[in-house]
Amino acid sequence: MLFNSFPFLLAFLPLVVVAYFALPHHRLRLLLVVGASYYFYAYADWWFPALMAGSTAIGYTTGRLLERNPRKAVLVAGVVGCLGLLAYFKYAQFAGGYALDFVHVITGRKLPHLRTVLNGIVLPIGISFYTFEGISYMVDVYRGTLRAERDLLRYAFFISFFPHLIAGPIVRYGIMQPQLTVKHRFDADRVRSGLLLFTLGLAKKVLLADGIAAYVDNYLSTPGQLGFFTAWSAAIGFGFQIYFDFSAYSDMALGLARIFGIDLPWNFDRPYRSASPTEFWRRWHVTLSTWLRDYLYIPLGGNRKGEARRNLNLFLTMALGGLWHGAALNFAAWGTYHGALLAGTHEARERGLRLPRPLAVAVTFVLVVLGWVLFRMRTLGGIGSLYAGMFGLHGFGGGLPGHLLLYIVVSFAIVFGLPEEWRWPVERWHVVWVAAAAVLFAVAVSSVYTAHPFIYFRF
Amino acid sequence: MRRLVVFLALTVALLAAAAAFDWWVDPFGEVWKPDVLAAARKQNCLVSEELIGLRYWSFKRDVFFHRPTREFVVGSSRVLKMSDGPHFSNLGYPGSAPETILRLFKSLPASPTQTVLLGVEGFWFNSRYTLPTTDLSTYKELEYLLARSTFTHAVSLSRQSAQLPQHRWKLDRIGTQCVLDRFEPTITWRLDGSRVWGWELDPARFPKFHGGAFTGNLETWRNGYFADWTVLDRSRLDALEQALALARARHWTVVGFPPPEPPHALQVLESDPRLAPQWNAYLKLMPQLFHRYGFKWVNTVDGAKLGCARSDFPDLFHSDARCSRLLVHALAAAIDNRRESLREIR
Repeated sequence: MLFNSFPFLLAFLPLVVVAYFALPHHRLRLLLVVGASYYFYAYADWWFPALMAGSTAIGYTTGRLLERNPRKAVLVAGVVGCLGLLAYFKYAQFAGGYALDFVHVITGRKLPHLRTVLNGIVLPIGISFYTFEGISYMVDVYRGTLRAERDLLRYAFFISFFPHLIAGPIVRYGIMQPQLTVKHRFDADRVRSGLLLFTLGLAKKVLLADGIAAYVDNYLSTPGQLGFFTAWSAAIGFGFQIYFDFSAYSDMALGLARIFGIDLPWNFDRPYRSASPTEFWRRWHVTLSTWLRDYLYIPLGGNRKGEARRNLNLFLTMALGGLWHGAALNFAAWGTYHGALLAGTHEARERGLRLPRPLAVAVTFVLVVLGWVLFRMRTLGGIGSLYAGMFGLHGFGGGLPGHLLLYIVVSFAIVFGLPEEWRWPVERWHVVWVAAAAVLFAVAVSSVYTAHPFIYFRF
Repeated sequence: MRRLVVFLALTVALLAAAAAFDWWVDPFGEVWKPDVLAAARKQNCLVSEELIGLRYWSFKRDVFFHRPTREFVVGSSRVLKMSDGPHFSNLGYPGSAPETILRLFKSLPASPTQTVLLGVEGFWFNSRYTLPTTDLSTYKELEYLLARSTFTHAVSLSRQSAQLPQHRWKLDRIGTQCVLDRFEPTITWRLDGSRVWGWELDPARFPKFHGGAFTGNLETWRNGYFADWTVLDRSRLDALEQALALARARHWTVVGFPPPEPPHALQVLESDPRLAPQWNAYLKLMPQLFHRYGFKWVNTVDGAKLGCARSDFPDLFHSDARCSRLLVHALAAAIDNRRESLREIR
């Protein structure tokens, strides 16, 4: 079920919120939300909840075992169990496809039945997110920084809670656990503030991200025909589209969770204001980048084993981070590109290279936009064509894409003129602002009929 | 609490107001409102397609129940010119198929008994032929009423026509006919459910359409209805049999027929190797299938044999009023023969 859909907005959400606060007992409320979340997930495909239940069972059981016997083998078994599901559903088609191509080249056998099986694998939405949440829980219990959860209902709530189920933020159980032990009374101010944050996210999605998408998708469908200005506009446009799309989802998730009395961690903080790639990753999809840092980069040795090893660790971490987004070489290339940017930033700093902040922000923005080409264009031909356009190889004609340019100007104004929406003091808003938000909400709701699915649902 | 109430109340009020406005203007004709038919009946006018939209299902049921119907025709858009007196209703519509006919039969009362003219198309048995939505669910209707695109079109239409916010239609006179319409009544409907093309009312205002010649490309010929046709679709045959079984149980008289074809199209259907096997199988199977349920099949596929000229098929697909009259006469004669023979048997 999409947040930006009528079934969610007009039926699911109102019913679940009313039932949640109508129930007198805390555990009944937890049970309601877990049941509703499983239904929410089953809306995409009936068998997805079974997969989530399996992942939940692995995480919970491993946690309990680690509590009694904190052996590395137990942790590895749990992590492999969770990653095994992810590997099969997300990467089997990708890796298996290449393996079959290899077998074909070597032996001449095409193995069509095996290929059909691989092509039939469906990627369950959200699996990348709840797998990482489960892994972080198991590792934290193993490290002793978190007590294992004995209550299966609370753990199931943590994994399945529908606001963050499909596209994050990637929540650590340490943040969620204390919030699940107390009953949240109905607080009109809190519910209102959650609704207002949800409204800002929904409006950002359907009015900005989807508006930009209409033009960007059109231009990028024929990258070979884009002149210099149009190619840059399309690439920058995609940069804003994906930012507004994903940050909108995060705002909506934070707002929804707030309605239920739960605070989720923020995920974005105007990343295009960053003055370096390092800063960019401290502002972009923060719950993923901190996860990669804590559970991959640091265990690999981080920066503790010299510059060369640090750079290698950065490459590896970011390449795997890229592959987390999707089982395709372009995502691996995008991740590696960012690994190179991060390593380059460290090298530049160590050599004392500093740029004035406005210039550094501009350079970082351009570097990030160049990276988005790898992310967005799935084929080598498409990537090459768009880069060729951006570097003027298709000429400078073709005029300026007026409507898209207008969106880009508005996007720059929002990004550089206003703080990230989760920072807005919505809980203190005057009634006039609340009324204005209601108008915005009505417009946004009426726009969901033609809305696009969130980009990060694919991951 | 006050601000939460303001937020929720204002949101609901705005959405409700927009939905009410969209319902009233209904720019795409997605919401069925029978008042236009009531008004047309009062003034004996035609109704423009703009006011019917795609809600053929509701429209045709309205036609049936507001007339003393004893005989009706069902089928595709190619039976829509058929018309035959005060007890006759035309319940065909574009996008019909055996499953919609079965559903229609089920929705009609069993008595009084009816005489049904069932125009069966060959392309119905091509599984690639998909049906347009002619009956929205309540949820889809709500989605339509709340959609921003509906609202912007409703506002745009209201700007074009100052009377639209007060009156959803206007009374127009085209040729000698009065028509309830909005802007451009290129297609209108009679109150018996039969269809009138704009150029039949006023050839100066509405140009007669042409085209439809076979170029060899099945993807484009007749909207691609015959493309990739390899076998007679079993589920559609089953649906047709269920409809016939229901009609027999209700003691209705059913006469099946293929809508007439112009000579060139008939030649294509009978000789093109991609079509001929399926086409001939369909023409061979239908009489057997109708007879199995005690009903007659009249082969009216050859328009020339009925007396229809090539010019009676303006788009080389749909027959005009003259040819449809000849078709009605041929079917009526078959029904009379049938009744005679039944009387003789008894």
